[in-house]
Amino acid sequence: MSLYFFYLFAGILIFASLAVVLARNPLYNVLALVVAIFSLSCLFVLLEAFFVGMVLLLVYAGAVLVFFLFVVMCLNLNTITLTSAQQSRFRLLGCTVGLMFLASFGLAFKSFIRAQTMDASNIRGTIEIIGKILFTDYLLPFELTSLLLLIAIFGIVSLAQGALSTGKNTENL
Amino acid sequence: MIHLGNYLALSGIIFSIGLVGVMTSRNVLKVLLSLELLLAASNLSFVAFSKFNGDYAGQLIVFFVILVAAAEVAIGLAIIVVMYRRLSTIQADELKEMKW
Amino acid sequence: MVLINMINPLLVWVAFFAPLVACVLITLFFLRSKTSSSLIAIAGILTSFVCSCLIFTQIFQANPPAQLQQSLTWISFDALTINFGFLINPLAIMMLLIVTGVGSAIFIYSRGYMDEDPSSPRFFAELSLFAFSMIGIVLSNNFIQLFIFWELVGLSSYLLIGFWYAKPSAADAGVKAFMVNRLSDFGFLCGIILLWSISDIGHGRSFLFTDLTAVVPHLNPHILTITALLLFCGVVGKSAQVPLHVWLIDAMEGPTPVSALIHAATMVAAGIYLLSRTFFIFGSSPTALLVIAYTGAITSLMAAILAIAENDIKRILAYSTLSQLGLMVLGLGLAGPMQGMYHLTTHAFFKALLFLGAGSVIIATHHEQNIWNMQGLLKKMPITGITFLIGTLALCGIFPLSGFWSKDAILGLAFTHNTVLYLIAATASGFTAFYMGRLYFVVFWGEPAHSHEVHESPVVMTLPLIFLAILSTIGGFIGIPHYLFPQKTPEELNVRVAIISSIVAVLGLGFSYMIYGKRTASDPLAAKLGNFYTVLKNKFYFDIVYGWYVDHIQQNMALFLSRFEKEFIVRLCVGGLTNLARQGGKTFRYLQNGLVQFYALIFILGTVLLFLLMYH
Repeated sequence: MSLYFFYLFAGILIFASLAVVLARNPLYNVLALVVAIFSLSCLFVLLEAFFVGMVLLLVYAGAVLVFFLFVVMCLNLNTITLTSAQQSRFRLLGCTVGLMFLASFGLAFKSFIRAQTMDASNIRGTIEIIGKILFTDYLLPFELTSLLLLIAIFGIVSLAQGALSTGKNTENL
Repeated sequence: MIHLGNYLALSGIIFSIGLVGVMTSRNVLKVLLSLELLLAASNLSFVAFSKFNGDYAGQLIVFFVILVAAAEVAIGLAIIVVMYRRLSTIQADELKEMKW
Repeated sequence: MVLINMINPLLVWVAFFAPLVACVLITLFFLRSKTSSSLIAIAGILTSFVCSCLIFTQIFQANPPAQLQQSLTWISFDALTINFGFLINPLAIMMLLIVTGVGSAIFIYSRGYMDEDPSSPRFFAELSLFAFSMIGIVLSNNFIQLFIFWELVGLSSYLLIGFWYAKPSAADAGVKAFMVNRLSDFGFLCGIILLWSISDIGHGRSFLFTDLTAVVPHLNPHILTITALLLFCGVVGKSAQVPLHVWLIDAMEGPTPVSALIHAATMVAAGIYLLSRTFFIFGSSPTALLVIAYTGAITSLMAAILAIAENDIKRILAYSTLSQLGLMVLGLGLAGPMQGMYHLTTHAFFKALLFLGAGSVIIATHHEQNIWNMQGLLKKMPITGITFLIGTLALCGIFPLSGFWSKDAILGLAFTHNTVLYLIAATASGFTAFYMGRLYFVVFWGEPAHSHEVHESPVVMTLPLIFLAILSTIGGFIGIPHYLFPQKTPEELNVRVAIISSIVAVLGLGFSYMIYGKRTASDPLAAKLGNFYTVLKNKFYFDIVYGWYVDHIQQNMALFLSRFEKEFIVRLCVGGLTNLARQGGKTFRYLQNGLVQFYALIFILGTVLLFLLMYH
């Protein structure tokens, strides 16, 4: 039964990823990514990693991608639709490299025989368990990430300040 | 029965799609989004390994990755905004002052 | 011969370097002073002469005569050892005595001859340099040192021939001499290196004469012949044998003392000396000896014939030098180093005498060199005239002068070994008598008829003449062959040959008296010989052939090589490589297109390729 769910969510994930890459309208790109994150989150739940699944939704889909949407809307990019003339010059080369990567991944995958036969363990990534580990074993990285976020805020504020004083299209901000 | 291989294969496919997006997008916004796809694929493989090896470390790594990804996206978007103000466009081709 | 240390090596080193010291002193300090420079030069060569005499007594005090070799190692590493030193043995000391003795006489004579010339200090410096180089050749104990001094002698010769460098003919003659010598030295060097490369019989390779003497009997005779012929190339150039004789005639452009010292007595004899010194190489190859003998004979005859048509006093004497050198080479080719060196010694005496006499005549007639503008000088310049007569008679081989003994030694050798060569040599001797008679009768005989005053030269010039005349007279009686090669018993004089050659000489002189005894305005021979005279005047067309070769073949070759170097090597190879680098750079520049995505693409491509490579 869960296999069907897997294939369902996997399929949605793949379609959504393709849409991220191939869609013309930047708005569609962002929304496709939202869909992708949703399906990814479902896959995490399938893997009984409840905490990270929720965090993904809350942080990623809830905050990061909304931020993306903000930017797209503010810069009025939803009105720009890329024509085929604006496609990248290197798309043929890029697709080839991507395929090569896929091929090399496939080769590595083929030799990883245990992947086919491995049984899942019965750990459950619930919030209690993850929280306990997070605040005991991984306390230092946890605190450091707060510092990292602080620095990120500094960076963004300084960038925005500079843009405010010297930018041309200031009416959009 | 879902095997580890299924998840890994899926992760690989998503990673490839994200790679193509990073390499070929004209729009810097799309590049950033494709970057997010890459991170998502890696997250998937981490969690899958975590489940099948019985080690919670994988999931914790994913937690931190999400955090860092959030910070990075924020700064990336700030840069895009600055670029839009300077060049009035978000075409990646316009950023070529370091040309030969 | 036992190596007894009865010879004082210090004497040898002093004799070696005294002229060099003189040259350096003059060049550094005395280039403006005529008297000082000449005195220093004379002091230098006299020092060498005195030392040589002392060494001579030291050598012959011992019985058997002593010899000494001393050398410093100059260059030494695994494969190569070159020494710098001397090897004194009776042959060397005799040659040294000739060089320094005749040299001293000529240096003193030059003081008078070059008195009016403003650049005489330079002359004495160059002359001293020459003396040093020649002594170097005589004393050298190994081939490389010999070659170095060989080239130095060539350089000095060039400097001295072109002494009056403002005169185009003199400058050209100097260059010609140097070029021809360079050509022969190429063969010489090839021979030296060939000999060195095969000289290893267990003790390593060596350039030393003493080592090579032990090695030569063990060598392959064919290679030995080739080596001998290559070494003979050097002799052909330096001693002006056919076909490289062309430089010696033009070398008469130099001052007369130079002609006397270098191109009569010493430098051109260096080839003969080389042949004698290293005779162990030539003596073991009959083929080489045959080639040497014929070369000498042909040179001798050809030069003697050409002298008949020559009107410049110095050039006639130059041809006679060529002829006598040919005779010496013939002697050596007949395996007679003793006879060859004997003739070299006596020739040095009377040829130097003849040249100095010619110089005296030239100065007295105010730099006139055409014999048809001189007449009856015997009455006006008695000392010159008489000494010149002694020299002429010695050259023709008239009994009992020195030339008679040495020339007949060679002719005797030829008579017993090879009739053809004997006939050629005898014919050449006949011609020699004829043209020397011609020279003497035209210049000195009859009534003087000069418009301006002609008087005898100063004492400083006539004293050397008298000294050399005495030597030319008694040279046959002082036992030179014994001193040259003490261990060889001197050959008995072949009476038949002596009589024949005396008759031939007298006939030649008489014939010339018949034609030239009564003075005429110009050469009566010209009319008699007609077209053949033109051929003689053009020196058998050697110069014209060589000139044509240089102009057409060599120049074109040189131009071709120059163009090849410019186009192929520089433009194509070197330029091509740089262009390749530049084009490569231009192509790879496009990778830096400033697009970050492109960089990311290349980066990922590299990673994928790396993975694919590692996977396999």
